[in-house]
Amino acid sequence: MVSLHRTIRNMRRVGLREWWRQMQYIGDAKSGVLVGTDQISTNSTASRRFGNRYFENMNGEEEVPGALGVFIFNAYVLLKFVGRQRWVDFAQHEYHASQVPPEWHSWIHHIRKDAPTNDPVIKNLTPPWQTPWVENLTGTRGAFKTYNTVAPKINAWEPKTISRGA
Amino acid sequence: MSFARQTIQAGLYSRFRPASVSIGSSLTSAAIRSAVAQRRLIHSSRCTRASQHDHHHEEQHTESLHSDMKLLHGRYPETPLYADLNSNANIEKFKSGERAIDKAVHLFFLTEIMRGMWIVIENFFRPPYTIMYPFEKGPLSPRFRGEHALRRYPSGEERCIACKLCEAICPAQAITIESEARMDGSRRTTKYDIDMTKCIYCGFCQEACPVDAIVETQNQEFSTETREELLYNKEKLLANGDRAEAEIAANLHADHVYR
Repeated sequence: MVSLHRTIRNMRRVGLREWWRQMQYIGDAKSGVLVGTDQISTNSTASRRFGNRYFENMNGEEEVPGALGVFIFNAYVLLKFVGRQRWVDFAQHEYHASQVPPEWHSWIHHIRKDAPTNDPVIKNLTPPWQTPWVENLTGTRGAFKTYNTVAPKINAWEPKTISRGA
Repeated sequence: MSFARQTIQAGLYSRFRPASVSIGSSLTSAAIRSAVAQRRLIHSSRCTRASQHDHHHEEQHTESLHSDMKLLHGRYPETPLYADLNSNANIEKFKSGERAIDKAVHLFFLTEIMRGMWIVIENFFRPPYTIMYPFEKGPLSPRFRGEHALRRYPSGEERCIACKLCEAICPAQAITIESEARMDGSRRTTKYDIDMTKCIYCGFCQEACPVDAIVETQNQEFSTETREELLYNKEKLLANGDRAEAEIAANLHADHVYR
């Protein structure tokens, strides 16, 4: 809890229940506009269903505004610190940074200005064969286990014996 | 006359001063003329004062060089050597009471604490600067080099043509490629392994690739529990590309004006 005024203001905006959830996960009271929700499809398996909610608050007085820098003599001088104006509310209790799908990942990392729901570039460049995002499954049974994609070149010698006929 | 020359002259005069006093008054006018410069020089050239001192107090001790440090240690109960630099009244003021350094410490450190506490109070009422990862994330470049992926054409055909340029340029030699002609006659890789534990994420592979097949995506959260999970094969790389194709293509689109 960093600023009493900010905490009380955001608590009144989002309500006590949402504020309690925020304090349990983000650890800070935040209020903003719900920008979108990522992949929820009923036919996808549990590991691919996220339903994270993405929020945005572009008011520079309420959230620390984005990176504002200039190029001076070949060096990027950061005038203001990077922003907190975009955040994700993870749907799962066991939340993890890799549970953000790539399109939303580029939004929350401030790579893309617009959310993927109304970004024409992202929409045009999404191929029909794109597969749903899977979180980092290390430490679980779904972890990647490498294998060889070609036939092995060294094979064990399998001796062919001729029976002696005794 | 330049200042440097003047000081040199003054140094010479002061060095010859005992001699000049003994010889006569032929050089005294010149000595007076350079008195101002001499006083400046006193700080830097100790030997002038030392010689003079020897001249006056030769009978007391035989050491030729003196400094105020010896007075500090209490070995010689004398008047300070440079006392004539200031008038006695100026020195008397500082002989009693708090030392100057004590006063400076009390003044400066007390106000420094208060200034520091004021900054704390100011920031208590400001929006916080801490980015609460993983809920909030800092800005990334579209050129960020993270986990690798193999891309496909919009038709779904894999891009890699097994030219092995990435394998050749890889400075860590993390890429291993084997290729074969496919049933339809086009040459494709049968083995495309990247040892992510060897990779240094220099991005040379994606620079070398003529068909934009191997790219480094913006994903940086692919740390694993065991080492062997990072030995990526072709299937894993293609799956990475299939999942992140929209983001990869959007980043290349954002960057194409600079290439």
